[in-house]
Amino acid sequence: MMVADWSHGVVLAASILSWFIIGAGLAQTAVYLLQLIVAAYALSRRPPVARSALLWHRYGDVAPPIALLVPAYNEEVNVVESVHSMLALEYPNFEVIVINDGSKDQTLQRLIEGFKLVKFHRPYEEAVTHKPIRGLYSSPMTERLFVIDKENGGKADAQNAGINVCRAPLFCVIDGDSILEPDALMRAAQPFIDDPERTIAVGGTIRIANGSRIEAGRVREIHLPTRLVALFQVVEYLRAFLMARLAWSRINTLMLVSGAFGLFRRAEVVAVGGFTKGSMGEDMDLVIKLHRYMRDTKRKYSIQFVPEPVCWTEAPETLSVLGRQRTRWQRGALECFFRYRSMLFNPRYGRVGFLGFGHILVVDVLGPVAEVLGYVLIPAFWLLGILSAEYLLAFTSLIFTYGVCVSVCSLVLEEAELQRFPRARDLAVLTAVAVIENFGYRQLNNFWRVKGWWQFLRGDQGWGEMTRTGLGGAKK
Amino acid sequence: MWLVWDMSILLSALSLVIMLLLIARRVLQERRGSAAADQRRSLLTALIAFTENRDREALKAVLLSVPASVAIDAGFEFISLLRGEEHDELVSAFNECGLPALVGKQLERGNGAERIHAAEMLAALRSENAVASLLSALDRDRSREVRIAAAIALCDVGALPPLVITLRKIGIAGQRSRRLIELFRRFPPRRFDELEDHAGRQDAVPFTRAAAIDALARSGGFRFADFFARAVGDPSAEVAAAALRALGLTGHADAPAILVKAMANDDWDVRAEAANAAGRLGLSELAAPLAQLMDDEAWTVRYAAANALRSFGRAGERVLQEIAASEVSRSQRTASLILAEGPAI
Repeated sequence: MMVADWSHGVVLAASILSWFIIGAGLAQTAVYLLQLIVAAYALSRRPPVARSALLWHRYGDVAPPIALLVPAYNEEVNVVESVHSMLALEYPNFEVIVINDGSKDQTLQRLIEGFKLVKFHRPYEEAVTHKPIRGLYSSPMTERLFVIDKENGGKADAQNAGINVCRAPLFCVIDGDSILEPDALMRAAQPFIDDPERTIAVGGTIRIANGSRIEAGRVREIHLPTRLVALFQVVEYLRAFLMARLAWSRINTLMLVSGAFGLFRRAEVVAVGGFTKGSMGEDMDLVIKLHRYMRDTKRKYSIQFVPEPVCWTEAPETLSVLGRQRTRWQRGALECFFRYRSMLFNPRYGRVGFLGFGHILVVDVLGPVAEVLGYVLIPAFWLLGILSAEYLLAFTSLIFTYGVCVSVCSLVLEEAELQRFPRARDLAVLTAVAVIENFGYRQLNNFWRVKGWWQFLRGDQGWGEMTRTGLGGAKK
Repeated sequence: MWLVWDMSILLSALSLVIMLLLIARRVLQERRGSAAADQRRSLLTALIAFTENRDREALKAVLLSVPASVAIDAGFEFISLLRGEEHDELVSAFNECGLPALVGKQLERGNGAERIHAAEMLAALRSENAVASLLSALDRDRSREVRIAAAIALCDVGALPPLVITLRKIGIAGQRSRRLIELFRRFPPRRFDELEDHAGRQDAVPFTRAAAIDALARSGGFRFADFFARAVGDPSAEVAAAALRALGLTGHADAPAILVKAMANDDWDVRAEAANAAGRLGLSELAAPLAQLMDDEAWTVRYAAANALRSFGRAGERVLQEIAASEVSRSQRTASLILAEGPAI
């Protein structure tokens, strides 16, 4: 009798656990499929403007001034070339502010030599807090460039210093080792031109430059990466930007504007205190703060994602570096979720509380744990005869076959509307990658995310070293 | 559970089939792509040759030999580079080849981006039917961006309906776009009164009223100075700030008194614009109120006031030095910072 009770209990517990795992998978898949539909609708409603010359002709006279904030920490390899390419951007009114965040290498020296920098006094408002500034520099070669040399305080702290020193009503954050396409600012500024009162932030697409031909800080020819790890990330980034962000943007619930390339209205960012220092996910944190502030003050606003402006970045090519990056991203997402948990399902925050935070809950908080549990428990329960084959098949389909569908559909969106990959062969390769990433890479990613969970619970605040070879080292 | 499995297989297979079709489409595009590039090149060569020999028939032969989309696309870019007689002759050649009719169709049936571009091209080509097509787009297009583009194009061809009607057709949501600034800046001087009327309308959107004032200040000059002086007292801070910017450009006999009053406005943007205007007009008699403004709670106002003082030359700098040498305060710090601005010695 007791044995029967015990086995009944085990089966019941296993069934509940299985339902939780499959339910989380179903919710996640449903979110992805919904995102695909909304993103496809958004792209079809707003197809891109093909040529930048047209944009200049149309918006050149009314484009608002922008300050480009470029935090640089130990970027001696790329910094001068990156700044040269930023200064050559096609935008009528912008300044580049490089923030040397107490680099231990020759970053500042390279900038001083490369641009003949001289010390400069520029009055600025101490609107947000940051570590002390040691000096400001300007260049006699160009009026557009300013360099801030400050004590090390992290990326968010450096960006805050840039926010204080900049004078433009809009600022754009970009990583020091990234490459903006020449017309990226013009394209990203479009929502600020079309709806200047309500638009407070705009994000653009990040693409992976590994393998592409880069000359003088410009991506001259787009090629796919040669390493499989970077190829997986090409598909991942397409999914993240072209599907997820576009969809959330369409319903004004975008919770993340990438710190690698985002345009913000300065006044609102100052009002929320700038970037949160010490945050693992300072970009997500800022966007959530902006949502909260605008909702609290009952102001109409929009935070948009525009797919056409492109920022190229270098993706990690080794599993160890990628793993560190992903665990950090996971900690960042969890940190933001728990820091602003009062917004979850809070009617005061409307769709941001329900859809935006609901999405983080399903995809970032529960998703990885449920999926990793599923990898272990579902097959085990089936082998032990506790679960029927139906459950095993349902789980398999949620992980593998729906995964293939979502990844391939992101590629379909890209090809149907943007066509940024120049050759049919690239598409064939990416289609194959979109299929095989679900068999191994996805599982590895989830393992890193669970590791991120564990580190978050332990209060681990380390960023881990992000080894880069430099985009100048990409195919030439 | 079986449904989950079946659906997943179906959706994955479907996505793969669509992707394979898109790859096949791309293979075809790649084959055609080089042909289109060749056609574009030959057309551009013909256009360049036309600017040298003015052989309209030869150009028309090339225009008709390439696909209309290539002709329109490359042609528009080229036309926008030309001016005067050359430009007019080229436009005539395009019209004689019937290309504007195709652009008109694009304005009706294209996607949003194509329709905006078509409106711009119609304005450049100035065909007989351009005005009718553009008016129709302004009237009926579902996208406000397209309606604004149509309005700008109509302004360029001198056929913009009265401003009140145009703005009504653009719609309230469209009246937040900075593109309206461009529309107003393109207004012909003979229609400036419409802008003045609009800027003075209390029931209009403040953003468009401010844009109208900016446009009048840029092109209308001193003629509207009295209007700007009155508009400084507008209840909308956005309009008042624009009027102060305008006054800073045109000047006015009562400017000192108007600016002193504006410096006490509740809105920091208005106070900052008042300081800027004082600096731009070189009203050194306003040094005292500007010095007071340097204790303003808003940094932008303090900075504008200090800059205005600095723009007065030696007299202003003396005031700044006195403030900088006084007890530590907001104004003292601002004055020190402004005086130090520039290359470090």
